[in-house]
Amino acid sequence: MIIHRVIRKVQRFQGWFGGGAALFIIAGLYIGLVDSPPDYYQGEVVRIMYVHVPLAHTSLFAYIVLSVGSIWYLWKRDPIVDNMCHAVAALGAIFTTLALATGMIWGKPTWNTWWTWDARLTSYSVMLLILISYLMLRTFIDDHEKEARYAAVLAILGLVDLPIIHFSVEWWRTLHQPQSFSMRGVSMSSEILTPLLCMSVGMSLLFSYMLMVRTQLLYLDRLLHAKKGRLLSQFHMSQSDS
Amino acid sequence: MTSLYLRWGGLLIVAVGLSMLTYNHYQQHLSTVSPHQMKEQAPRQEIRLFGMVRGGTLEGKVKAGDATFELMGNDTSVTVHYQGPPPDNLRELKTLILIGKWNPSDNIFEARDIGLVTNYGFVIGAYLIGLIPLAIFLFAMSRRVGLLYEEIKESKLYQEE
Repeated sequence: MIIHRVIRKVQRFQGWFGGGAALFIIAGLYIGLVDSPPDYYQGEVVRIMYVHVPLAHTSLFAYIVLSVGSIWYLWKRDPIVDNMCHAVAALGAIFTTLALATGMIWGKPTWNTWWTWDARLTSYSVMLLILISYLMLRTFIDDHEKEARYAAVLAILGLVDLPIIHFSVEWWRTLHQPQSFSMRGVSMSSEILTPLLCMSVGMSLLFSYMLMVRTQLLYLDRLLHAKKGRLLSQFHMSQSDS
Repeated sequence: MTSLYLRWGGLLIVAVGLSMLTYNHYQQHLSTVSPHQMKEQAPRQEIRLFGMVRGGTLEGKVKAGDATFELMGNDTSVTVHYQGPPPDNLRELKTLILIGKWNPSDNIFEARDIGLVTNYGFVIGAYLIGLIPLAIFLFAMSRRVGLLYEEIKESKLYQEE
């Protein structure tokens, strides 16, 4: 299977992903916190952007991976892809929660409020709810086949929220600033763009590394459960033989 | 498992180094002093003076970027002569940060720029909340993977593929 070969090849570079993530994040933190200048309007508070925006971008990327994986699973019924989807949902929920938390912290000094029912914030929170529902669904259903199928359907249905999140700042009048990266170009100076790009690349690599570790963790956990089951059945068989 | 702890130990050392660099940067370029501290320390280098413009003292061509006023802080006031870019936020009873040099001979603070008042707690809070949970989660996962490998190896049914 192609997907198995791809996963195996990518996993061979797991260490590179981790090392690259550490390097880019350290460089991004140094440039963002020490080297880059403050913003004319926001002052030093603009530095929150270097952690908030990469977290938000990575969470959206995580949801795209989850959706593509879910479509692939429904098509091919590949358990390895299902395992990866399960892993990516948990990571997506964490990245989304942290992006929301850092956004709230940024909102207080710039908008003078921790939270507002703005279109971007609301649609983004809906994504977190979908991810939590996905994880709950995977916990509550006993039949593994059914669990994977229902979860994949939920993830695909939730995909509708992604364009809403992306275009919310254009479709509605929102408090959230418009996109800085668009077809019209990039609306920020290179001094601010450099740390932002460093942190974004670092976060994406970190997410990929965490995904590999989590997929491995879920796989090993299942393997251990299966082995324990086999040990138990072997024990019962030996009991009945004697 | 030892290599895992070594890797994370190295990362921790780098994180501490980075925090020290950031703190140093804050102390050198962003920390402020009150008029009281400035008069006590009489610094020769450029400083950031934090205080409030005393009501009824603002004179000169404010919009053109040439003004004189008194700045208050910690029950001490200091006369300021501002000459710099036309300011957006220079008005009476406004709390601000002035960047410039103290001239002890005529007791006047010569300001060349005005900085924004920032609550750095928000910046620190965002970085800690954004990065520490990720690090803890990744460490816990990596450790669990190591433990699971060992547990699987030790269980009796293990057969190498």
